[in-house]
Amino acid sequence: MTALAISNAVLWLLVLVLSAVVLALVRQVGVLHERIAPAGALMLNRGPTVGEPAPVLEVADLDGHPLRLGSARADGRSTLLLFVSPGCPVCKSLLPAVKSSRKDERAWMDVVLASDGDTREQREFVRTQGLDGIPYVVSAALGLAYQVGRLPFAALLDEQGILRARGLVNSREHLESLFEAKRLGVASLQQYFSGAV
Amino acid sequence: MIDPVIGALLAGSFALLFAGAALHKLLDPARFHAAFTAYGVLPPALARLSAVVPLLELTVAAGLLVHGSRVGATAAGAALLVSYAAAIAVNLGRGRRDLACGCGGPNDRRPIAAWMVWRNLCLVPLLGVSVLPHSARGLQPADALTIGAGTAVVALLYMSLDHLLGRIQPRAVLLRRAP
Repeated sequence: MTALAISNAVLWLLVLVLSAVVLALVRQVGVLHERIAPAGALMLNRGPTVGEPAPVLEVADLDGHPLRLGSARADGRSTLLLFVSPGCPVCKSLLPAVKSSRKDERAWMDVVLASDGDTREQREFVRTQGLDGIPYVVSAALGLAYQVGRLPFAALLDEQGILRARGLVNSREHLESLFEAKRLGVASLQQYFSGAV
Repeated sequence: MIDPVIGALLAGSFALLFAGAALHKLLDPARFHAAFTAYGVLPPALARLSAVVPLLELTVAAGLLVHGSRVGATAAGAALLVSYAAAIAVNLGRGRRDLACGCGGPNDRRPIAAWMVWRNLCLVPLLGVSVLPHSARGLQPADALTIGAGTAVVALLYMSLDHLLGRIQPRAVLLRRAP
Protein backbone atom coordinates (compact mmCIF):
# COMPACT_ATOMS: atom_id res chain seq x y z
CA MET A 1 0.00 0.00 0.00
CA THR A 2 2.81 2.40 0.93
CA ALA A 3 4.63 1.51 -2.26
CA LEU A 4 1.51 2.19 -4.31
CA ALA A 5 0.83 5.49 -2.56
CA ILE A 6 4.40 6.66 -3.09
CA SER A 7 4.37 5.54 -6.71
CA ASN A 8 1.10 7.40 -7.21
CA ALA A 9 2.48 10.57 -5.69
CA VAL A 10 5.64 10.37 -7.79
CA LEU A 11 3.60 9.75 -10.93
CA TRP A 12 1.37 12.78 -10.27
CA LEU A 13 4.45 14.90 -9.77
CA LEU A 14 5.92 13.69 -13.06
CA VAL A 15 2.63 14.20 -14.94
CA LEU A 16 2.43 17.74 -13.57
CA VAL A 17 5.97 18.54 -14.66
CA LEU A 18 5.32 16.93 -18.04
CA SER A 19 2.14 18.99 -18.60
CA ALA A 20 4.01 22.16 -17.68
CA VAL A 21 6.73 21.25 -20.18
CA VAL A 22 4.13 20.55 -22.88
CA LEU A 23 2.54 23.97 -22.28
CA ALA A 24 5.95 25.67 -22.41
CA LEU A 25 6.79 23.85 -25.67
CA VAL A 26 3.45 24.75 -27.23
CA ARG A 27 3.97 28.42 -26.37
CA GLN A 28 7.47 28.25 -27.81
CA VAL A 29 6.10 26.77 -31.04
CA GLY A 30 3.64 29.68 -31.11
CA VAL A 31 6.49 32.19 -30.78
CA LEU A 32 8.39 30.47 -33.59
CA HIS A 33 5.34 30.57 -35.83
CA GLU A 34 4.97 34.27 -35.15
CA ARG A 35 8.62 34.85 -36.11
CA ILE A 36 8.61 32.86 -39.34
CA ALA A 37 5.16 33.78 -40.64
CA PRO A 38 5.32 36.45 -43.32
CA ALA A 39 4.42 39.74 -41.63
CA GLY A 40 3.07 41.18 -44.85
CA ALA A 41 -0.52 42.10 -45.51
CA LEU A 42 -2.38 39.04 -46.71
CA MET A 43 -3.02 39.16 -50.45
CA LEU A 44 -6.39 37.89 -51.56
CA ASN A 45 -6.36 36.53 -55.05
CA ARG A 46 -9.15 38.57 -56.50
CA GLY A 47 -9.82 42.17 -57.33
CA PRO A 48 -7.59 44.57 -59.27
CA THR A 49 -4.09 43.35 -60.08
CA VAL A 50 -1.08 44.96 -58.44
CA GLY A 51 1.03 46.82 -60.97
CA GLU A 52 -1.89 47.73 -63.17
CA PRO A 53 -3.99 50.91 -63.19
CA ALA A 54 -6.52 50.99 -60.36
CA PRO A 55 -10.21 51.42 -61.20
CA VAL A 56 -11.04 55.13 -61.56
CA LEU A 57 -14.04 56.21 -59.52
CA GLU A 58 -15.72 59.54 -58.82
CA VAL A 59 -16.87 59.56 -55.20
CA ALA A 60 -17.76 62.11 -52.53
CA ASP A 61 -16.67 62.14 -48.90
CA LEU A 62 -18.99 62.59 -45.92
CA ASP A 63 -18.67 66.39 -46.16
CA GLY A 64 -19.69 66.28 -49.83
CA HIS A 65 -16.27 67.11 -51.32
CA PRO A 66 -15.84 65.25 -54.62
CA LEU A 67 -12.85 62.90 -54.87
CA ARG A 68 -11.44 61.25 -57.96
CA LEU A 69 -9.78 57.99 -56.94
CA GLY A 70 -7.54 55.93 -59.17
CA SER A 71 -6.53 58.57 -61.71
CA ALA A 72 -3.02 60.00 -62.09
CA ARG A 73 -2.44 62.86 -59.65
CA ALA A 74 -0.94 66.13 -60.73
CA ASP A 75 0.63 66.78 -57.29
CA GLY A 76 2.65 63.53 -57.46
CA ARG A 77 1.24 62.12 -54.24
CA SER A 78 0.17 58.55 -53.55
CA THR A 79 -3.11 57.50 -51.99
CA LEU A 80 -3.71 54.89 -49.32
CA LEU A 81 -7.28 53.63 -49.52
CA LEU A 82 -8.33 51.97 -46.30
CA PHE A 83 -11.64 50.13 -46.13
CA VAL A 84 -13.12 50.13 -42.61
CA SER A 85 -16.51 49.75 -41.00
CA PRO A 86 -18.02 50.89 -37.68
CA GLY A 87 -18.89 47.25 -36.93
CA CYS A 88 -15.34 45.91 -37.19
CA PRO A 89 -13.36 45.74 -33.92
CA VAL A 90 -10.03 45.14 -35.67
CA CYS A 91 -10.56 48.35 -37.68
CA LYS A 92 -10.91 50.33 -34.44
CA SER A 93 -7.70 48.90 -33.05
CA LEU A 94 -5.91 49.64 -36.32
CA LEU A 95 -7.01 53.30 -36.52
CA PRO A 96 -4.30 54.71 -34.16
CA ALA A 97 -1.66 53.09 -36.40
CA VAL A 98 -3.37 54.58 -39.45
CA LYS A 99 -3.34 58.05 -37.91
CA SER A 100 0.33 57.86 -36.99
CA SER A 101 1.26 56.41 -40.40
CA ARG A 102 -0.63 59.25 -42.02
CA LYS A 103 1.50 61.68 -40.05
CA ASP A 104 4.80 59.83 -40.67
CA GLU A 105 4.22 59.39 -44.40
CA ARG A 106 2.56 62.74 -45.07
CA ALA A 107 5.40 63.78 -47.36
CA TRP A 108 4.26 61.47 -50.13
CA MET A 109 0.92 59.94 -49.23
CA ASP A 110 -2.69 60.84 -48.47
CA VAL A 111 -5.04 58.56 -46.56
CA VAL A 112 -8.62 58.04 -47.69
CA LEU A 113 -10.96 55.97 -45.54
CA ALA A 114 -13.75 54.10 -47.27
CA SER A 115 -16.80 52.40 -45.88
CA ASP A 116 -20.26 51.30 -46.82
CA GLY A 117 -23.65 51.47 -45.14
CA ASP A 118 -25.72 53.83 -43.02
CA THR A 119 -24.35 57.41 -43.26
CA ARG A 120 -25.51 58.40 -39.76
CA GLU A 121 -23.65 55.46 -38.26
CA GLN A 122 -20.55 56.42 -40.28
CA ARG A 123 -20.66 60.01 -38.97
CA GLU A 124 -20.92 58.70 -35.43
CA PHE A 125 -17.92 56.42 -36.13
CA VAL A 126 -15.87 59.37 -37.48
CA ARG A 127 -16.77 61.42 -34.41
CA THR A 128 -16.05 58.75 -31.76
CA GLN A 129 -12.81 57.59 -33.40
CA GLY A 130 -11.53 61.15 -33.99
CA LEU A 131 -11.20 60.78 -37.75
CA ASP A 132 -11.98 64.41 -38.58
CA GLY A 133 -9.65 65.73 -41.24
CA ILE A 134 -9.26 62.38 -43.00
CA PRO A 135 -11.43 62.09 -46.14
CA TYR A 136 -14.10 59.49 -45.40
CA VAL A 137 -15.94 58.03 -48.38
CA VAL A 138 -19.14 56.02 -48.07
CA SER A 139 -19.56 54.13 -51.33
CA ALA A 140 -20.61 50.59 -52.10
CA ALA A 141 -19.21 50.92 -55.63
CA LEU A 142 -15.70 51.49 -54.29
CA GLY A 143 -15.76 48.29 -52.22
CA LEU A 144 -17.06 46.35 -55.21
CA ALA A 145 -14.39 47.77 -57.52
CA TYR A 146 -11.65 46.55 -55.18
CA GLN A 147 -13.49 43.30 -54.37
CA VAL A 148 -13.16 43.93 -50.64
CA GLY A 149 -14.24 40.83 -48.79
CA ARG A 150 -12.66 41.22 -45.39
CA LEU A 151 -11.88 44.27 -43.29
CA PRO A 152 -9.69 46.20 -42.63
CA PHE A 153 -8.52 46.15 -46.24
CA ALA A 154 -5.99 48.57 -47.72
CA ALA A 155 -4.92 49.48 -51.24
CA LEU A 156 -1.97 51.71 -52.07
CA LEU A 157 -2.19 53.73 -55.30
CA ASP A 158 0.86 55.56 -56.60
CA GLU A 159 0.94 59.01 -58.21
CA GLN A 160 0.15 57.50 -61.65
CA GLY A 161 -2.96 55.77 -60.32
CA ILE A 162 -1.25 52.37 -60.50
CA LEU A 163 -2.18 49.91 -57.76
CA ARG A 164 1.08 49.28 -55.89
CA ALA A 165 -0.01 47.01 -53.06
CA ARG A 166 -3.18 45.77 -51.48
CA GLY A 167 -4.28 43.32 -48.83
CA LEU A 168 -5.89 42.63 -45.54
CA VAL A 169 -4.22 44.75 -42.84
CA ASN A 170 -4.63 43.70 -39.23
CA SER A 171 -1.69 45.50 -37.67
CA ARG A 172 0.75 48.34 -38.06
CA GLU A 173 3.29 45.86 -39.51
CA HIS A 174 0.83 44.88 -42.24
CA LEU A 175 0.17 48.53 -43.03
CA GLU A 176 3.86 49.32 -43.24
CA SER A 177 4.43 46.27 -45.43
CA LEU A 178 2.32 48.05 -48.07
CA PHE A 179 4.63 51.08 -48.01
CA GLU A 180 7.59 48.71 -48.08
CA ALA A 181 6.10 46.87 -51.06
CA LYS A 182 5.85 50.16 -52.96
CA ARG A 183 9.38 51.16 -51.97
CA LEU A 184 10.82 47.79 -53.07
CA GLY A 185 8.62 47.58 -56.13
CA VAL A 186 7.16 44.20 -55.24
CA ALA A 187 3.52 43.23 -55.17
CA SER A 188 3.62 41.48 -51.82
CA LEU A 189 5.99 40.17 -49.20
CA GLN A 190 5.17 36.64 -50.32
CA GLN A 191 6.47 37.53 -53.77
CA TYR A 192 9.53 39.20 -52.26
CA PHE A 193 10.39 36.12 -50.20
CA SER A 194 9.89 33.72 -53.09
CA GLY A 195 12.36 35.76 -55.14
CA ALA A 196 9.97 36.22 -58.05
CA VAL A 197 10.78 39.91 -58.35
CA MET B 1 -22.64 6.45 -9.88
CA ILE B 2 -19.18 8.02 -10.01
CA ASP B 3 -16.36 8.09 -7.54
CA PRO B 4 -16.35 11.33 -5.48
CA VAL B 5 -12.79 11.98 -6.63
CA ILE B 6 -13.89 12.06 -10.29
CA GLY B 7 -16.78 14.37 -9.37
CA ALA B 8 -14.52 16.72 -7.42
CA LEU B 9 -11.91 16.72 -10.19
CA LEU B 10 -14.53 17.68 -12.81
CA ALA B 11 -16.12 20.31 -10.58
CA GLY B 12 -12.72 21.81 -9.74
CA SER B 13 -11.62 21.91 -13.36
CA PHE B 14 -14.83 23.53 -14.60
CA ALA B 15 -14.80 26.02 -11.72
CA LEU B 16 -11.27 26.98 -12.81
CA LEU B 17 -12.39 27.28 -16.44
CA PHE B 18 -15.32 29.57 -15.64
CA ALA B 19 -13.37 31.65 -13.12
CA GLY B 20 -10.55 32.10 -15.66
CA ALA B 21 -13.01 33.14 -18.37
CA ALA B 22 -14.67 35.63 -16.01
CA LEU B 23 -11.30 37.06 -14.99
CA HIS B 24 -10.31 37.72 -18.62
CA LYS B 25 -13.58 39.56 -19.19
CA LEU B 26 -13.36 41.58 -15.96
CA LEU B 27 -9.78 42.66 -16.71
CA ASP B 28 -10.91 44.53 -19.82
CA PRO B 29 -14.68 45.10 -19.69
CA ALA B 30 -14.65 47.63 -22.55
CA ARG B 31 -13.03 45.18 -24.92
CA PHE B 32 -15.42 42.42 -23.94
CA HIS B 33 -18.37 44.78 -24.38
CA ALA B 34 -17.17 45.57 -27.93
CA ALA B 35 -16.78 41.86 -28.72
CA PHE B 36 -20.15 41.08 -27.13
CA THR B 37 -22.04 43.64 -29.22
CA ALA B 38 -20.09 42.68 -32.35
CA TYR B 39 -21.56 39.18 -32.14
CA GLY B 40 -24.91 40.74 -33.05
CA VAL B 41 -27.06 37.93 -31.68
CA LEU B 42 -28.94 40.00 -29.10
CA PRO B 43 -30.96 43.16 -29.81
CA PRO B 44 -28.90 46.35 -29.11
CA ALA B 45 -31.14 47.15 -26.14
CA LEU B 46 -29.70 44.12 -24.34
CA ALA B 47 -26.06 45.13 -24.97
CA ARG B 48 -25.70 45.99 -21.28
CA LEU B 49 -25.94 42.26 -20.54
CA SER B 50 -22.22 42.08 -21.36
CA ALA B 51 -21.53 43.22 -17.78
CA VAL B 52 -23.61 40.35 -16.41
CA VAL B 53 -21.80 37.56 -18.29
CA PRO B 54 -18.58 37.56 -16.20
CA LEU B 55 -20.60 37.76 -12.98
CA LEU B 56 -22.67 34.80 -14.15
CA GLU B 57 -19.47 32.89 -14.88
CA LEU B 58 -18.07 33.68 -11.44
CA THR B 59 -21.32 32.53 -9.82
CA VAL B 60 -21.18 29.26 -11.78
CA ALA B 61 -17.54 28.76 -10.74
CA ALA B 62 -18.37 29.29 -7.07
CA GLY B 63 -21.57 27.24 -7.28
CA LEU B 64 -19.73 24.24 -8.71
CA LEU B 65 -17.48 24.10 -5.65
CA VAL B 66 -20.34 24.05 -3.10
CA HIS B 67 -22.15 20.77 -2.71
CA GLY B 68 -25.67 22.17 -2.34
CA SER B 69 -25.61 24.36 -5.44
CA ARG B 70 -23.73 22.01 -7.75
CA VAL B 71 -26.74 20.92 -9.83
CA GLY B 72 -27.97 24.48 -10.41
CA ALA B 73 -24.48 25.73 -11.23
CA THR B 74 -23.96 22.83 -13.64
CA ALA B 75 -27.20 23.65 -15.47
CA ALA B 76 -26.27 27.34 -15.67
CA GLY B 77 -22.74 26.50 -16.81
CA ALA B 78 -24.03 24.14 -19.51
CA ALA B 79 -26.46 26.84 -20.67
CA LEU B 80 -23.56 29.33 -20.90
CA LEU B 81 -21.40 26.90 -22.90
CA VAL B 82 -24.24 26.06 -25.29
CA SER B 83 -25.17 29.72 -25.81
CA TYR B 84 -21.53 30.63 -26.57
CA ALA B 85 -21.41 27.74 -29.06
CA ALA B 86 -24.68 28.92 -30.62
CA ALA B 87 -23.49 32.55 -30.87
CA ILE B 88 -20.26 31.44 -32.56
CA ALA B 89 -22.09 29.01 -34.87
CA VAL B 90 -24.61 31.69 -35.92
CA ASN B 91 -21.81 34.12 -36.79
CA LEU B 92 -19.82 31.46 -38.64
CA GLY B 93 -23.02 30.76 -40.56
CA ARG B 94 -23.16 34.45 -41.45
CA GLY B 95 -19.67 34.10 -42.85
CA ARG B 96 -18.06 36.39 -40.26
CA ARG B 97 -14.81 34.50 -39.94
CA ASP B 98 -12.86 37.55 -38.71
CA LEU B 99 -15.08 38.31 -35.72
CA ALA B 100 -13.06 38.55 -32.49
CA CYS B 101 -14.16 35.71 -30.19
CA GLY B 102 -13.97 37.75 -26.98
CA CYS B 103 -12.37 34.82 -25.22
CA GLY B 104 -8.81 34.61 -23.93
CA GLY B 105 -6.58 37.26 -22.42
CA PRO B 106 -6.43 41.02 -23.02
CA ASN B 107 -4.10 40.75 -26.03
CA ASP B 108 -5.88 37.81 -27.60
CA ARG B 109 -7.75 38.93 -30.67
CA ARG B 110 -8.22 35.54 -32.23
CA PRO B 111 -11.21 35.15 -34.52
CA ILE B 112 -14.05 32.73 -33.96
CA ALA B 113 -13.64 29.25 -35.45
CA ALA B 114 -15.56 26.03 -35.83
CA TRP B 115 -13.41 24.17 -33.30
CA MET B 116 -14.67 26.49 -30.55
CA VAL B 117 -18.21 25.30 -31.21
CA TRP B 118 -17.13 21.65 -31.00
CA ARG B 119 -15.06 22.32 -27.88
CA ASN B 120 -18.04 23.79 -26.06
CA LEU B 121 -20.33 20.99 -27.17
CA CYS B 122 -17.78 18.41 -25.93
CA LEU B 123 -17.46 20.18 -22.58
CA VAL B 124 -21.21 20.06 -21.85
CA PRO B 125 -21.51 16.26 -21.38
CA LEU B 126 -18.32 16.29 -19.28
CA LEU B 127 -19.91 18.94 -17.08
CA GLY B 128 -23.02 16.76 -16.91
CA VAL B 129 -20.99 13.82 -15.59
CA SER B 130 -20.00 15.83 -12.53
CA VAL B 131 -23.60 15.90 -11.21
CA LEU B 132 -24.09 12.13 -11.39
CA PRO B 133 -24.62 10.72 -7.87
CA HIS B 134 -21.37 10.17 -6.00
CA SER B 135 -20.62 6.80 -4.41
CA ALA B 136 -20.38 6.85 -0.63
CA ARG B 137 -16.62 6.36 -0.35
CA GLY B 138 -14.83 8.25 2.38
CA LEU B 139 -12.11 10.53 1.01
CA GLN B 140 -8.55 9.86 2.17
CA PRO B 141 -5.49 12.12 2.19
CA ALA B 142 -4.27 10.47 -1.03
CA ASP B 143 -7.44 11.64 -2.76
CA ALA B 144 -6.47 15.25 -2.08
CA LEU B 145 -3.36 14.64 -4.19
CA THR B 146 -5.43 13.16 -7.02
CA ILE B 147 -7.87 16.08 -6.98
CA GLY B 148 -5.29 18.84 -6.60
CA ALA B 149 -2.70 17.55 -9.04
CA GLY B 150 -5.39 16.28 -11.39
CA THR B 151 -7.01 19.73 -11.60
CA ALA B 152 -3.63 21.35 -12.24
CA VAL B 153 -2.82 18.86 -15.02
CA VAL B 154 -6.25 19.35 -16.60
CA ALA B 155 -5.74 23.12 -16.56
CA LEU B 156 -2.25 22.87 -18.10
CA LEU B 157 -3.41 20.49 -20.83
CA TYR B 158 -6.45 22.67 -21.56
CA MET B 159 -4.21 25.70 -22.00
CA SER B 160 -1.89 23.70 -24.27
CA LEU B 161 -4.75 22.49 -26.46
CA ASP B 162 -6.26 25.96 -26.56
CA HIS B 163 -2.95 27.42 -27.68
CA LEU B 164 -2.41 24.67 -30.27
CA LEU B 165 -5.86 24.98 -31.83
CA GLY B 166 -6.29 28.74 -31.42
CA ARG B 167 -2.86 30.18 -32.17
CA ILE B 168 -0.65 27.63 -33.83
CA GLN B 169 -3.04 25.73 -36.07
CA PRO B 170 -4.26 28.80 -38.06
CA ARG B 171 -0.69 29.98 -38.56
CA ALA B 172 0.43 26.50 -39.59
CA VAL B 173 -2.32 26.50 -42.23
CA LEU B 174 -1.12 29.88 -43.54
CA LEU B 175 2.47 28.64 -43.66
CA ARG B 176 1.50 25.50 -45.54
CA ARG B 177 -0.32 27.62 -48.12
CA ALA B 178 2.56 30.06 -48.52
CA PRO B 179 4.63 29.59 -51.68
